[in-house]
Amino acid sequence: MKRAIGIVAVGLSLAGPAFANEFKWAGTTDPQTLDPHAVNTASVLGFLNNVYEGLVRRGKDMSIEPALATRWEPIGNGEGWRFHLREGVTFQDGSTFDAEDVLFSYQRASDEVSDTRSWFAPVSDVKVVDAYTVDILTNAPNPIFPDSIANWMIMDKGWAETNNAALPDKENGNYATLNANGTGAFKVTEREPGLRTELMPNDGWWGEVEHNITRAEFTPVQNPATAVAALLSGNVNMINPVPIQDAERLADSGDVKVIRGIEARVIMLGMAQEADVLKYGDDAGKPNPFLDARVRAAVAHAVNVPAILKVTMRGNAEPASQLVSPAMRGYSDANSARPEFDPEKAKALLAEAGYPDGFSFGLKCPNNRYLNDEAVCQAVTSMLSQVGMNAQLEAMPVQNYWPELREDNYDMYLLGWSPGTFDAEHPIRFLASTPNKEKKLGSWNFAGYSNARIDELLPMIQSEIDPAKRQAMLDEAAKIMQDETAYVPMYVQPLVWGTGKNIELTQRPDNFFILRWVTVQ
Amino acid sequence: MLTFVIRRVFQSALVLLIVGLVAFSMFRFVGDPIDNMLGQERTDADIARLRTELGLDQPFPVQYMKFLSGAAEGNFGVSYRQGRPVGDILLERAPATLELAAVSGFLAISIGIGLGVFTAIRKDGFLANFIMSASLIGVSLPTFLIGILLIYLFAVVLGWLPSFGRGDVVHFGWWSTGLLTSSGLKALILPSITLGLYQMTLIMRLVRSEMLEVLRQDYIRFARARGLKEKSVNFHHALKNTLVPVITVTGLQLGSIIAFAIITETVFQWPGVGLLFINAIQFVDIPVMAAYLMLISVMFVGINLIVDLLYFAIDPRLRTEQKGAK
Amino acid sequence: MSDQATQPATPSRLAKAWDSDFMYNFRHSPVAMVSFFVVALLVLGAIFAPLIAPYDPFDPASLDLMNGYTAPMAPNDFTGDVFWLGTDDQGRDVFSTILYGMRISLFVGFAAVAFAMVLGITLGLIAGYVGGWTETIIMRAADVQLTFPAILVAMLIFGVAKGITPIEHQDTMAIWVLIIAIGLSDWVQFARVVRGATLVEKDKEYVQAARMIGRGKGIIMLRHILPNVLSPVLVIATISLALAIIAEATLSFLGVGAPPTQPSLGTLIRIGQDFLFSGEWWIILFPSITLLALALSVNLLGDWLRDALNPRLQK
Repeated sequence: MKRAIGIVAVGLSLAGPAFANEFKWAGTTDPQTLDPHAVNTASVLGFLNNVYEGLVRRGKDMSIEPALATRWEPIGNGEGWRFHLREGVTFQDGSTFDAEDVLFSYQRASDEVSDTRSWFAPVSDVKVVDAYTVDILTNAPNPIFPDSIANWMIMDKGWAETNNAALPDKENGNYATLNANGTGAFKVTEREPGLRTELMPNDGWWGEVEHNITRAEFTPVQNPATAVAALLSGNVNMINPVPIQDAERLADSGDVKVIRGIEARVIMLGMAQEADVLKYGDDAGKPNPFLDARVRAAVAHAVNVPAILKVTMRGNAEPASQLVSPAMRGYSDANSARPEFDPEKAKALLAEAGYPDGFSFGLKCPNNRYLNDEAVCQAVTSMLSQVGMNAQLEAMPVQNYWPELREDNYDMYLLGWSPGTFDAEHPIRFLASTPNKEKKLGSWNFAGYSNARIDELLPMIQSEIDPAKRQAMLDEAAKIMQDETAYVPMYVQPLVWGTGKNIELTQRPDNFFILRWVTVQ
Repeated sequence: MLTFVIRRVFQSALVLLIVGLVAFSMFRFVGDPIDNMLGQERTDADIARLRTELGLDQPFPVQYMKFLSGAAEGNFGVSYRQGRPVGDILLERAPATLELAAVSGFLAISIGIGLGVFTAIRKDGFLANFIMSASLIGVSLPTFLIGILLIYLFAVVLGWLPSFGRGDVVHFGWWSTGLLTSSGLKALILPSITLGLYQMTLIMRLVRSEMLEVLRQDYIRFARARGLKEKSVNFHHALKNTLVPVITVTGLQLGSIIAFAIITETVFQWPGVGLLFINAIQFVDIPVMAAYLMLISVMFVGINLIVDLLYFAIDPRLRTEQKGAK
Repeated sequence: MSDQATQPATPSRLAKAWDSDFMYNFRHSPVAMVSFFVVALLVLGAIFAPLIAPYDPFDPASLDLMNGYTAPMAPNDFTGDVFWLGTDDQGRDVFSTILYGMRISLFVGFAAVAFAMVLGITLGLIAGYVGGWTETIIMRAADVQLTFPAILVAMLIFGVAKGITPIEHQDTMAIWVLIIAIGLSDWVQFARVVRGATLVEKDKEYVQAARMIGRGKGIIMLRHILPNVLSPVLVIATISLALAIIAEATLSFLGVGAPPTQPSLGTLIRIGQDFLFSGEWWIILFPSITLLALALSVNLLGDWLRDALNPRLQK
């Protein structure tokens, strides 16, 4: 180890002055843009959280805390929210932050070309009250609105307009794609897309500095083995993720630290519930057994989730009973039990549904989207075949996977869902509502699951102010989906980071890596 | 000779056009870029809008024509992933790949020919047999595994060399080089061995096999009988005459080194065009894929042209043949 | 060899073959004999895998996930089962999986090389001998082909195959896609070398003599030129066979390979490389050794074969 560090030091001394507390980290995906409104993906928003800030932000425990707004309160009888802005904040280019920037950022982020537009669907208007007060008006009472805008980042109006970046441009890119000017604790000083991004502390930051980093550098490294080698050899100080199978050995090695947590993402099996016939396997063309809730229940009982957690996930993941993890708001404690592994019961259910000898069908699976996705699907295939459901597994890269799902080319599929709002309402809206293009509902409900009561509950949940009543409705929805086995939730994906021994940091359950919580010893 | 070159250049242009057509016909099989460009809260309307905006709703010949008219003006479009002109990205990435390929190619040719000659001359020697067998181990394992094993040994266990990346680079205009810094040179070692190993073995075996045959030919025997020095016979007479097939294969392999640096660049996170291409496939970044393939085509066509010209230079019999053909 | 000798049919011919220069050469080359033995052993192991292997790793119903990651010769913590070479992440017996995986690898390898060789030699001969526009078209087609990295060819063929194969047969299609993709990315090597050699050979006296006595183009190409260009072809073919097996592993590394439920040797290595740092060394070690032994023996055998078959070396 010592030798490796020596070489790094030699390399740097040739390049320029050595940095006191340099922090290098590697992740799988490079943020594809520095524009906080162009693309709504975790890799972009997670990275930009270090550079840009919102009115509110999430703390170490995911709770909402003040950021560019110091406090906020509901207006009248749920007509919207009033935000009081922090005074004396400047952007990294020196210009002052005020209400005009908030209004501009609303217009920018909610424009048709912005990927973040859906966050503002409930918003009817944004009004500047004075230089440091903003009213955000909503169509209906919206109790969770402040929670839903933690990733809405504020951009300087003057900067964006001067640089012709008043609107994001995903297709052709613009100044804001490659440059950033936030109010956050770090500023981007060098950017080579796909290769490396250099960050320096923002000296003028308004907040209290917890980190001691003098320079930070992010490198995307796709191959997991390369990333592990880079961490072990000291070429980087932190990697995310650590391959699950390597976590234990790395932790035991003593050279590095492994930080484990539970991510918000629930991994589940979806089953075709609109198709009349099976599409794959020997029984292709025959009536679709998954239309029968008993067959879906049989799947839930046939999959040995404890074994998957123990072997494939190596004890790093938690079982899931519903579409959200226990860490999410609105999780249904009343429905926290998941179907037991019981192959006999599964066989009985199949027989009851008229399939005593089972049937054959197709299982589609991504092989580079979720942790160990392909291995999990293989395990599921073998477990299902043991009760007579012979799955033909086809695993493919994710860029081929989504089009397949959109075209309904599956009998059963694997899906992971992480609620952007950290609330149980989110998956109901996207995964359980009857697909409806006009109302923008059920856009990821490939299976075509449909239940009238769920569709009825969703708008009520969305506008309910009383937490107890809201939870009761969320419980009801969770119960319906369990009873009908709308999906087979299997486990909550683990979060495994690796760092050098001299690094202290905080891991947040949304897998956002927050640089200002890092200290180098 | 000039007509020959002109004709070849004309054919080459045709090849490029066909490559482009084939490439565009297959992009839709690589996947759909839309899902990568939109977040999880996208709606069907967003998908349709973006598809129209990118021109993906049009048939591939139309997309191809659009690409061609852009390319004719030196505009290869804008990367879906990076939102920057593809030309800029390629220029930025090319030096890394070219340097890696040049170093690997140099290693492969110099060591390959050297060992090939050695093993041919000492046909039954112990060392020659050992080299022949040992060289095979290197080509009997997949490149990605060799790369990872090298990283494991030299970066993790021994800590001598960096595990990934290119080290520090020095910029000269648009060109960046890692050859002038010690960290850059160190970073080159493992990837260039990984990349050049297969080509080295192939060249070595080919040189040996051709040498063995040539050494048995009568004129070599005469040369020996005439009392020429062994060295002069081996290198001047024998080696020169083994070069036709060797040049063919070497030429092809040099092109392959660049084209197939993809794996090595992925394993070592080498910031070259191969890595760019792999990322482009994963992201279905059609403009980048198209431009990359065009670049590789230009290179292959160029290398083939040079190989054919070298044929002329080395084997006089072909010269008369080609004249006859015209 | 000995089991062939015991066959009753035409013993005299076999005896003659046994005494031929070729066999004499073989019997006096320890490298060739050992290589042949290894290749034969592996090929037989692959062919008779269902009889030899203690488990059927391709039958998902027989797998128990709880057997996953069992070390060689050590009882599993939960099930108490013992496996000679341990188990992989799915609880598959590594020994059985190697035998079954080798069947797929060998099949893909032989078929892909055969495909590439036939295509490459035919086109190379025609290009070199006929010349003119035929040659131009073939060699420019080779340029086009070379431009496309194997991975992209595989993806293209995969996509096209998907479009034209009935949905229920798509799971068996992967193997054929691999064969065609690897074969297609390999034929150019053969074609270019054969063409180069043909250009040299076709003006030699013996070919002109054959032409003079009125032999047809096809006969001249096959009977006179082909045997004389085979030496470089053999060098390429032997490496190609090993390379085809490895190429399959690489494609699998990039996400387009044999289906994970029916892993080839290459897929096993790709899966095993995930466990390089995690301590389950047996998942990658045993398949790698098998592949190494196979590829090495094929190459060594090829080396010897080339020397033995080359008429010019027997002067």
